[in-house]
Amino acid sequence: MRISTWFWRGFAILVWLFLLSPLAIVILFSFANNVVTTFPMNGVSLRWYTALFDNIYFWDALRNSLVVAGSVGVVSTIFGTMAAMALARMRPKIAGPSMLAMATPVMVPPLMVGIALMVLYVSVGMKLSLFTVILSHLVFTQPFVILIVHARMVGFNYAAVESARDLGASPLRAFFTVTLPIIRPTIIGAALITMALSLDDFIITFFTIAGGNTLPTFIWGMIRTQTDPTINAIATLLVGLTVGLSLVAMAVTRYRG
Amino acid sequence: MNATIGEIGRSRSILLAPSALVFVGLFVLPMLYFFVVSFWQVSLFDLDRTFTVKNYIRTYQEYLGVAGFTFLIAGIIALLTTLIALGFAYAVRFKVGRFGTILLFGALISLFGGYLAKVYAWKTILGTNGILNTALLNLGLIDEPSTALIFNPGAVVVTLTHYLLPLAILPIYGSMRGVSDLTIEAARDLGSTPVATFFHVILPQCRAGLIASFSFTFLIAAGDYVTPRLVGGPSTTMIGNYIESLFGFRFDWPLGSAMSFSTLFGCVAILAVTSYLLIRAQRR
Repeated sequence: MRISTWFWRGFAILVWLFLLSPLAIVILFSFANNVVTTFPMNGVSLRWYTALFDNIYFWDALRNSLVVAGSVGVVSTIFGTMAAMALARMRPKIAGPSMLAMATPVMVPPLMVGIALMVLYVSVGMKLSLFTVILSHLVFTQPFVILIVHARMVGFNYAAVESARDLGASPLRAFFTVTLPIIRPTIIGAALITMALSLDDFIITFFTIAGGNTLPTFIWGMIRTQTDPTINAIATLLVGLTVGLSLVAMAVTRYRG
Repeated sequence: MNATIGEIGRSRSILLAPSALVFVGLFVLPMLYFFVVSFWQVSLFDLDRTFTVKNYIRTYQEYLGVAGFTFLIAGIIALLTTLIALGFAYAVRFKVGRFGTILLFGALISLFGGYLAKVYAWKTILGTNGILNTALLNLGLIDEPSTALIFNPGAVVVTLTHYLLPLAILPIYGSMRGVSDLTIEAARDLGSTPVATFFHVILPQCRAGLIASFSFTFLIAAGDYVTPRLVGGPSTTMIGNYIESLFGFRFDWPLGSAMSFSTLFGCVAILAVTSYLLIRAQRR
């Protein structure tokens, strides 16, 4: 085998380790009996999880996170899928730039999006709450649903839908009885990705929430004040949730490389 | 289809309406209003809506250095991230064979690995009592914990490169997957060396992915304030930290807005010039 091949293999493995080892360390030390997060490990313990589960504020944050992620998952997926259906039937010359425009909220730094939304809510007299957080999350999750579902609809065979329409089904009925069952895995995948993004968001949530916490703002409060290994436990839970959701999403949409 | 053209147009508008409403009502309008705020000023904890450009003048006079420093850090991070992502995508696409799937899968997992969890992980790795220091002490390479690992620009570069790398890999690998093996074989048959093939056949076909990755990582790095706050220390205060503070205890929305939009326009200008130079360099 040639030296250059070995070089590229080594490089790729190093990058892979660089990407994954920090997360592996957080997960590993969430189960360690160490007061300071450093090697060597002093045995296995669930004490940080026990400490976390005894904290009532953790349960509040978890509940808020699930309420937000669940609502965003449902609403964003419905809105995004509707848009993708329309865009898939439009000429690529119009659909492409429209999707790019709709994706700009993802390209602007979240700090600016979060502040701009907060300024708007406060200026029109809306009280900041979980509802404003949900509205804000729609902005940056919707583009992902549109892109994912649109990509599926580009190769979609409309023959079956047209037969249903010719046989007298209304457009809505044709969608629910023909189109939806075919593209259901893609839509479920998009919904799970949306929830993972919503669960993980810190910056936009931070500016648009009033009191209370979601999991990331709860973690933020802990990181700023202490270096307590409980943070490893809650970070592990959050990573588990988001990675789990995205793995299921990849599996149902049959993502291959 | 047995629907008339009018019906199709109407149903398309209905389908597009909810997401268009979200896009316009919760992105375009807030951003426009936020931009308008930059031309107002604060007096007695209230907004004074008389037109002024003094916030931009203040931004230029007081924060030009900070902005320059931020663009420099963001540029280093974007360049480093894009180059590593290019190497990784090239290796996965052409050099590692069936291991490619596992490697790419790892990158995808780390994409969803939690923003704060990653910054926190680097804090525990680079900290004074952190993993790296303990390892170096145990190996006898240093005698006392080094304080040079964290609370400096280097720590911010490492942390943000780690966070942004999977996001940069996706578009570059996406465009590299589109490079057909035929063109590479053709180049080889015509006597091209692997290096020449890389620069003249593969790289030009990945241009869109490279520009997308560089632009995205540059924008996100330039607008970040969490990483410099947690691992950057006082020596690495970026423009995002100042902007954030103006919406917290300092309460000066107009100045914060002027700083935000100056940063955004600065980023867009830098990215436009970079893309133009890249495209022109490749035409030669």
